Amino acid sequence: MCHALRFATTSVILCIGFVAAAQAEELVVASYGGSFGEAVKACHVAPFEKATGATVSIKLNNSSQTAAALRATAGNSDLDVVFMDDAFSAQTNNEGLNEKLDRSKLTHGADIIPAAWGKDDSYVVTMVSATALVYDPKVVKTPPTSWLDLFDPQYAGKYVIGDISGTSGWQFLLALNKIKGGSLDNVDPGIAAIKPLAKGAIVLYTQADQVISLFERGEVVIAAWYPNNAAAAAARGLSLAVAYPKEGAVGILPTMVIPKGGKKLTLAHKFVDQVLSADGQKCFSERAMIGAVNTKVTLSEKVAQIVPYGETLKNVWFIDPGVVAKNIPTWTRRWQREVAR
Amino acid sequence: MITPRHGLMLIAPLALVLAGFFLVPVLMMLPTSFGEYVPGAGLAKGVWTLENYTRIVTDDYYREVIWRTLGLGLFVTLACLVMGYPLAYLIARGPERWRVPLILLVIFPMMLNLVVRSFGWIALLANRGLVNNLLIDLGVIQTPLKLMFNLTGLMIGLTHIYLPFMVLMLVAAIRNVPRDVESAAATLGSSRLHVFTSVTLPLSAPGILAGSILVFVLTISALVTPRMLGGPTYKVMATLIYDEYMQLLDWPSGSALSFALTFMAIGVIWLSSRLTKRWAGMA
Repeated sequence: MCHALRFATTSVILCIGFVAAAQAEELVVASYGGSFGEAVKACHVAPFEKATGATVSIKLNNSSQTAAALRATAGNSDLDVVFMDDAFSAQTNNEGLNEKLDRSKLTHGADIIPAAWGKDDSYVVTMVSATALVYDPKVVKTPPTSWLDLFDPQYAGKYVIGDISGTSGWQFLLALNKIKGGSLDNVDPGIAAIKPLAKGAIVLYTQADQVISLFERGEVVIAAWYPNNAAAAAARGLSLAVAYPKEGAVGILPTMVIPKGGKKLTLAHKFVDQVLSADGQKCFSERAMIGAVNTKVTLSEKVAQIVPYGETLKNVWFIDPGVVAKNIPTWTRRWQREVAR
Repeated sequence: MITPRHGLMLIAPLALVLAGFFLVPVLMMLPTSFGEYVPGAGLAKGVWTLENYTRIVTDDYYREVIWRTLGLGLFVTLACLVMGYPLAYLIARGPERWRVPLILLVIFPMMLNLVVRSFGWIALLANRGLVNNLLIDLGVIQTPLKLMFNLTGLMIGLTHIYLPFMVLMLVAAIRNVPRDVESAAATLGSSRLHVFTSVTLPLSAPGILAGSILVFVLTISALVTPRMLGGPTYKVMATLIYDEYMQLLDWPSGSALSFALTFMAIGVIWLSSRLTKRWAGMA
């Protein structure tokens, strides 16, 4: 009797759920997790749901997982809008998996910097971050000024750099390579320079937030890391400061792509429009400590000091995503064989 | 007596599930493994190559990872066997009232999620983990021992996770050894040790082999624990395949490595079933 009652109640609840779901349109968005994902929910999903009445379900993925999902479901993706780093968006575009963005459907499209549009409008850059230096100002009294400061013997065994599977890994490799006279076609100098550094690193981090606990326990005092993650951790009371190396930080450009064959193009464009809107961008920048692409956004003093902005932004090295997409397997294989082995 | 027709009907449900959800997807992967991946552009259309397979043999990095994987499988199997046999013997032949609590203890870790268990090991084995902190506080060591991102870490983690499989297989095997045969040997003047080495151990050989195959195959194909305890520097085949697929997006190379791993596993199973037959013939 009790079971029957429970079964009946569950069925009724499920039915109501299905009916409700059928009424409200659902948009599936793939996003990075962590503080980024939280900010997407607070600054973009909430206002979007309110304005359109649609519901958004978020799938947490990193760029390469999303790219793999787009390829596996080519032309028939279950994702409606996705966040990916620019190199992966360039890659999926080359594979013919991106829908061309319709600028006429994006009311805020005119407000963003022209460089934000990917080749043939196949993607749009939504924000600007970077790989830079992060240090513990309680221990490191003179702020670092160069990428080469990581080699300083006083930090021996007290620094961390990222594995090449993460953005900061290949970006720091390329930054070092450039300093040592290499080019995007020849990373020999970079590989040679980074090898001893990787061997001496306390660990090669694969998840951005791994670094937080390393700083927390005092295991490291300096890192090649992301300013936005550092700022989020600092806001929770950790002693962290960001330094932009004089050779230039390396730019990270999270983009949005609408996968080809999507059945909710209008709604998807509305979501992209929300992400590009001045209000959305301002909220996101302040919350996730990431630079905006909408020219109408003025950042608060606090955020402007952390994100690439003004002088530091001018100095940032933005690497052609097409070149990165083409070379990253080679760089990764060399890293696996020569650096991490 | 079960007729072949009835036998077929009995295995039909499982066979259908295996065919539909395992065999067909695996076979669909076969063409991919002969394809070519062009970085930045995707899978080349209409190009067939053996390179993905030849590279596995010629590239010394891949060879190193393969040997490491096989070695890890062997070590974990041996460790499980050495630690598992006495425990299984106690469960099978010890006091009756110990049996259920002991079996529960063996099964208990399996109720915890794999990720949680691996995280537990990270908390214990990390540079500033419980083990290192304790040893440093006691003054036994000055600098932390490297217990993670190497063979030690993977051995500890995987042995812990697969030990229950070995023990459960061994308990069944040892319980199947007729007590009469042991008693007969004892009556004829065998010492307890001699009874064990010449009667119990050989008669439980099928269980030893079955348990070993199970643990070996599970170890060489494990992904979660090696990813967490091996990290980016200590790769095994499963983590390498994951990287090729998910990170480099090089599906042809990933598929070829997957088939190589599958054939290695099948090879090991084939070899050990031949061994079992020979052992059984001798016993």
